[in-house]
Formats: sequence, structure tokens, C-alpha cells
Amino acid sequence: MGIIKSENLIFEYIRRDEEGNVEAINRAVNGVNLDIKQGDFVAILGHNGSGKSTLAKHLNAILRPTEGDLWIDGHDAKDLNKLWDIRKTAGMVFQNPDNQIIATVVEEDVGFGPENLGIPTAEIWERVDKALKSVNMLKYRKHSPNKLSGGQKQRVAIAGIVAMQPKCIVLDEPTAMLDPNGRKEVIDTITRLNREEKVTVILITHYMEEVIGADQIYVMDQGSVVMQGTPKEIFSRVWELKKYRLDVPQVTLLAEELRNSGLQLPEGILTIDELVDEICQLY
Amino acid sequence: MSIILDKVNYIYGSGTAYEIMALKDINLVIEDGQFIGIIGHTGSGKSTLIQHLNGLIKATSGGIYYNGEDISDSDFDKKKLRSKVGLVFQYPEHQLFEVNVFEDVCFGPRNLGLTEKEAQLRAFEALRMVGFDEELFYQSPFELSGGQKRRVAIAGVLAMKPEVLILDEPTAGLDPRGRDEILDQIKKLHETTNMSVILVSHSMEDVAKYVSRLIVMNQGQIMFDDTPKEVFRHYKKLEEIGLAAPQVTYIMNQLNEKGIPVNTNATTIEEAKEEILRVFHNRKDEPSF
Repeated sequence: MGIIKSENLIFEYIRRDEEGNVEAINRAVNGVNLDIKQGDFVAILGHNGSGKSTLAKHLNAILRPTEGDLWIDGHDAKDLNKLWDIRKTAGMVFQNPDNQIIATVVEEDVGFGPENLGIPTAEIWERVDKALKSVNMLKYRKHSPNKLSGGQKQRVAIAGIVAMQPKCIVLDEPTAMLDPNGRKEVIDTITRLNREEKVTVILITHYMEEVIGADQIYVMDQGSVVMQGTPKEIFSRVWELKKYRLDVPQVTLLAEELRNSGLQLPEGILTIDELVDEICQLY
Repeated sequence: MSIILDKVNYIYGSGTAYEIMALKDINLVIEDGQFIGIIGHTGSGKSTLIQHLNGLIKATSGGIYYNGEDISDSDFDKKKLRSKVGLVFQYPEHQLFEVNVFEDVCFGPRNLGLTEKEAQLRAFEALRMVGFDEELFYQSPFELSGGQKRRVAIAGVLAMKPEVLILDEPTAGLDPRGRDEILDQIKKLHETTNMSVILVSHSMEDVAKYVSRLIVMNQGQIMFDDTPKEVFRHYKKLEEIGLAAPQVTYIMNQLNEKGIPVNTNATTIEEAKEEILRVFHNRKDEPSF
């Protein structure tokens, strides 16, 4: 069994009036089946309101399934007693770094998580060292987080999760508020964590360019998974993606336009180098 | 209608240990009806700059003139300035608060002292300008999707009938279609009303596609102020300051380096496609021996 596995996962937001009568039921996740292998880099795409974030919040038990089954590293997500085991397995990083940083010094912020897990002090500092090194922020350890750039703050937030040594990190639009440089820093960091430390990464994003290196992509619409495959497979289906309010990387779109105009390019070109090579061969 | 900034400087925390020069010697003329983009990394001074334009921040030194009048004059009508220069902040939907969409958009014009009827008329017009579905007018703004909420927030500023509309990253956090829809709507607004639009953005692709003048901020100074094409020619300099060019620019430059004679100044997909096809077409016309 993979580290994350779900069968027919359903979640409903139930709105009640003042007397507690049910006013409306909104099914945000509708029959999702996931099977994510340990060490994979998985991306979840989908338009605003497609159910991505609701799904993500199940992965570290912020929300619990209304129906269906979900296992995180073998722990049943419906079992309240497994709450802390699940949260230790899957750490979560959110969109706005300012909402996730609580301490006045970087290293104390990173130490907050392991401290709450009851780790001995000496080991906490070892973990803080290692975590800050892995996000390339060691030299800022004594700095105040509010003087950092957006990308640096987000990397501190990631270090805070890394210090808890989870097997899996879930990132919900971690780059939405960052400038191009900050975006690159964050994506490079999580790619390295995935490749070198074998952490399972689940990345939710609206930037198509950020997921071309993923092992698997899930596309969501109206609470269900509507497309699944490798980046090459997914981004070859330009018009289907547009139907779900999504897009393809600019490189892929340009290749597609050129193909439609008669150039014999292959489908699913994802990187600048690939496109340049293919064009050079034709010329 | 114009805004002129003359040698504007702004210092945060002046006289303290944390003194930061956020704007340095800014000279800028914003003419009637322009569509301007502002790019720069976090902390480059973009937000500080736009907050000067409607008087939310007072320059430490230098002058700002709106239609020839100095906005720092004690008898200058600041309230009027703020209705004429409309500022849409980042994540403006966090500022929605009324019981329904229509009431929320009415809030601005009512505060201008307009009659109830006039305020409602303006709200109606503004919501139509952002392409908001009439059936949702009496919905709670909190039950809308992200893109819809953002439209309502932009309509709230448009209902003040500004002459200049400034948007600070209006597409942050939206899905790709939502991004295109909001920007297309803004472009249409600009074309039909002749309002000046200033777009602060982190997306090089978006500014390449929409604006006709691009201002690059770095360390509180204006580094470039030109057409997007001219600015993106300096893509290596842009990288040094934490920015980049649109992906298309990189493709064209790499093709050129590999000996394919494309012109490298394409910045949009459409332009790149035309240029690559043109080169292939010319080659076929050549006699092969």
C-alpha cells in the first residue's frame, strides 16, 4: 500500500441555520481514489473551488472524511486516536508565509514543531540545523522572520515542517504570493527534498510550469479527479485542460500552436530545451 | 489628466535605526489613457510607489502633481483624489463586508455623498463593467468563488468612477482561466473607458501580453521605463534583480544562439509562432542548391 491511499473519499460541508437545521450540503470532495507511493512527487491541479484544498486538508487530518476511506501511512484517517500519528506523517505548508510563522527568531520558529513532539532539546537543535540547511537558510538562523523576503519566509515555514521529519509534505499553493525569484527558490527546495531526502511531496498550484517535474499529476474538477497521468500525458491534452479552467506551460502551448500550423513537433513538449532541440532538428 | 512625480523620495522609519530608503529620486509622468505595468521583486518599492499616487503615503521629499495641482498642498482635496485614483489592493476580496454583492459595491459611491439612486446606478454599471452575473447581485459576497469575489472588489473601486485604476497583483491566487478573464476584462475596460490602468504584477507573461509601457523597479529606483519589448531585451539584467523575461523570450534567444535566424524580440506566444513560421517559410523558399 502506498503512503497515501483513499477509496471513494467524500467530504461534505454542511451549513446549518440558527436552529441547527441543515440548510445546504456542499459536496467538496466526491469519490476520490488516490494511491501515492512513498517518495513520489505528486501535483494536484484544479480551478478555484474544485476541491483541491479540501482534499489536501484530509491528508494531515485537519478535515476527516464524511464517507469513504483514507489511510495515511497505514493509519485510518477516520480514527480519532490516530490524529497525531497522521500529523507526524504528513506536514502541511500553506499559501501565506506570514500566517505560519510564530516565533521572533528563525531558529526558534523551526524548533517549535519538534519541541511540541516532545523531542529532547539536544536533538531539537540538531534537527533545526539540518532543516535550515536543507532549505538553504542556515545563515539566517538568528534573523527575525519579518525582515525576510516572501520566498525566504516560505522556506523557513518548510524548514519548520522538515524539522518534524514527516514522510510526506503537503504544500497548498506555496508560491501564490511570491515573486518569480521566490517561486523558484521554493520549487527548487521542495524538489531537492524530494530527490535527496526522499520526502513524498504533494504540491497544489496554479502555476503549470511548476509541475513539469512531477511523477504524477491529478487534475480535479467539482470534487472529483478527472485526469491523472505524467506531466507529458496531461499536458498533451491542451484543450481538455482548458475546459477545466487550466492551462499548459507557455512552452507546451507554443509547441502545440506550431504543430497545428504544420511543423512536425511531437506532443507534450514541456521544457525550453526540448522545444529548441526539436525545432533545430526540423530546420 | 495626468500624474507627475518630481524627484520623489520616501524613507521608512526616518530617524530610527531601521531607516530604509524605499523610493529614491523617482521621476515619472503618467499620461491620460495609458496601460502601464510595474514589475519588481518583493521589496523593490512597487507598493510604496503606487500608494503615493493616491496620497495614502506622503512623500518624504519631492512633489506629486495631479492635473497640475500639488497634492501635498494643504487645501488640496485628498478625498477627491482618492475617488479619482482608484487603488485595488492585493487580495481585495478580504475587504468585502456587506450583506450582499450590490450593497458592497454601493458603499463607495454612497460615501462620496451621492444620492441613493445615483449610487445604485453606479454600482449596477460597475458590476456590469467587470462582467458580473446579474443573478448573483443579491448573493452574500462570501459565498462566491475566488474570481467572482475579486470582480466584486474591483467593481467597488470602479463605482467611484476613477480616472486612474491601479491594481496590485489582481490575479494572485486565481486559476489560469480566472487570471485570463480578469485581465481580459481590465483590458476591455481600458479600451472602452480610456481610463489609465496601472498593473502591478509578478507575471512577466501577463505584462508582455497586456501593457504598452513597462516600469521596472529595483531598490527603490526606476531601472527601466519602456515598451515591454525593449525592457525584455535586457533579460539578463532582469535576472540579476530577481526577475525574468517571459518563457518565449528564452526560447527565441536559444534558437538564435543555435543558428536559427529568428528575431529575438517576440514576447508573446502569438509573436513567437509567427516569427518561427516565418523563418521556416523563408528557408523553404530558398533554392536548395
